[in-house]
Amino acid sequence: MSSEPVIETLGLSKFFGRQRALDDVSLKVFPGSIGLLGPNGAGKSTLMKCLLQLQPITSGSAKLLGREVGREGREIRKRVGYAPEQNCHIPGMAGCEYVTYCAQLSGLPFQAARQRAHEMLDFVGMSQERYRKVDSYSTGMKQRLKLAQAIVHDPEIVFLDEPTNGLDPKGQAQILELVEGLWRIHGITVILSSHLLHDVERVCQQIIIIARGKVLVHDTLENLKARRRGAAEVVLARGHSELQAACRGRNWLCDLLPNGHLRIEHQSDTLNPLLTLLHELRLPPLEVIPSPNALEETFVQALEISHAAA
Amino acid sequence: MPLHDAHYQHWDGLHTSIWGRRRVIAQNGISACLRAKLLRYVVLLSWAGGLVMAAFLFFLGQVLVPDSLLVRWVTQISPDMRVFVRMFTSWLVDHPEVSVGTTQNVLFYYYGVYSMPVCIVALGMALPALITRDLASNAIVIYSSKAVTRGDYLLGKFCTAFGVITLTWLGPVCGAWFIGNLLAPNWSFFWHSRIALLHLLMFGLGSAAVLSALALGVSAVSSREKSTPALWFIWWVLGFAIQPIAVHTLPWLRHVSFGYDLRQSALAVFHLGRELQTAEDSIPIFGQMLSHVSQQTRDALNHPTLGGSVLGLALMLLAAGLIIRKRVVPE
Repeated sequence: MSSEPVIETLGLSKFFGRQRALDDVSLKVFPGSIGLLGPNGAGKSTLMKCLLQLQPITSGSAKLLGREVGREGREIRKRVGYAPEQNCHIPGMAGCEYVTYCAQLSGLPFQAARQRAHEMLDFVGMSQERYRKVDSYSTGMKQRLKLAQAIVHDPEIVFLDEPTNGLDPKGQAQILELVEGLWRIHGITVILSSHLLHDVERVCQQIIIIARGKVLVHDTLENLKARRRGAAEVVLARGHSELQAACRGRNWLCDLLPNGHLRIEHQSDTLNPLLTLLHELRLPPLEVIPSPNALEETFVQALEISHAAA
Repeated sequence: MPLHDAHYQHWDGLHTSIWGRRRVIAQNGISACLRAKLLRYVVLLSWAGGLVMAAFLFFLGQVLVPDSLLVRWVTQISPDMRVFVRMFTSWLVDHPEVSVGTTQNVLFYYYGVYSMPVCIVALGMALPALITRDLASNAIVIYSSKAVTRGDYLLGKFCTAFGVITLTWLGPVCGAWFIGNLLAPNWSFFWHSRIALLHLLMFGLGSAAVLSALALGVSAVSSREKSTPALWFIWWVLGFAIQPIAVHTLPWLRHVSFGYDLRQSALAVFHLGRELQTAEDSIPIFGQMLSHVSQQTRDALNHPTLGGSVLGLALMLLAAGLIIRKRVVPE
């Protein structure tokens, strides 16, 4: 991790009239792939918009890439990409024209903008449809286009607001693969806002859980999983009932899940007792998934605490 | 295509300046406006008008200079015409500023004022491409997330409207001045018409700025593509229709019409009353031609209601500014 935070907020609050959308948010986010989790209306999009200056901050301060938000808007946004949740194309333009135009708005000269636009459209997997008017695109194509325009100017950090909304499973997998590669391969910090835990778990290393405008959890996925140790999912080719019986003998809760996996609560910080048992039973596992629902459980727990506090 | 085959490459070139980005917004806006076929026809019509004007100036130049092609040709055909032509040519010798300057000043006034409707119609057609569509498609969010501010966006859109006005109004009339004087028999025409050009630019640029800002305001009123042009045309026609009624009842009500206010400004800028008086005093034939102009008309020409017009336009611009401030925000 770099020592310089990419996002730094101090007491950041945002009100819409009397409604509090962000409540005293203080964060230090370091480069990486960061998942912004929360239920609908939690304040995820508002936080992104405040950082991008799409919404004015009511109180507090924020820094993006080391620069004060609100003072150096243009300079910050040259280095930042944003794919909003809703459709926001420019009517009457073909896909490649639109991405070229977005690159020019970010300060790329025309030739470079056009070249980058085509490269990014290749990158997001759009072929000949790039020459069609954006108005005629399907939801999946629009999502790809939004991603292309967000990264066309080679930003250092990219904000993606619900990028898999409205996509079929194949499309979701492709977009997530791209997003995952942005940080892992190309070193672009990704802030992925979603209410889909699976998406965030797949792509992100750091998790921020936000609800009612407050940051409830901010930690690495690894640490969150470590907090929820004591459960695992085991995939076996045979011997399900044998393992279930052995678990019962040790007072471990063992459930057969609809997908054929066994969920075992082994009540230990490590997988060693479970692996020893499998060895003793001579049941080679096909896969052992530690803390399979750690993020979901953390998320639900955080929300429960938040509700109780409210 | 397989996603892994596509490579992401970092870009480390030099960024364009903020003025470059503003230019891109304006350029894109003008292209979007010109996608409407009807607007392209209006542009062609305007330039055709400009060419007619240039032809008229060419003809005027030919008439005024003794050894011009036209004069030589006419006198060859009919020696009797020589006296008549000599009368015209003596104007240039005796009163060059009047025969060229005043004539062009009056011509530009009439061309400027009476071709303005074409430009207003063109702006009406361009309105959806200014802000309306961006509001409808949430494109404001995209602009706001790029390296431009709301001010840059509005400046770009302002230049778009200004560009449409230039294409349909300022461009043709300035082109007519240039071509007309370029084809004149001698270069002094450029010099003698400098004041007329100055008046034209003062009025044209000022009016274009006002009309552009008003068009932006109307364009931001709604996100429906049909509503904003309808509102623009209703405002314009209503302002035009209200004048004969308002003149006898509530004269200040005339200032609700931006067309009226701009015409009054034109009278003040071109000094039309003074120019006609100079022409009457200098060249007798003008005196005879203008003798039938009523005193009421002369008063109207000499004393335009400039204060009221400026105030009216200022209030309209204020309203446009407030609308833009309220409406042109991301979401």
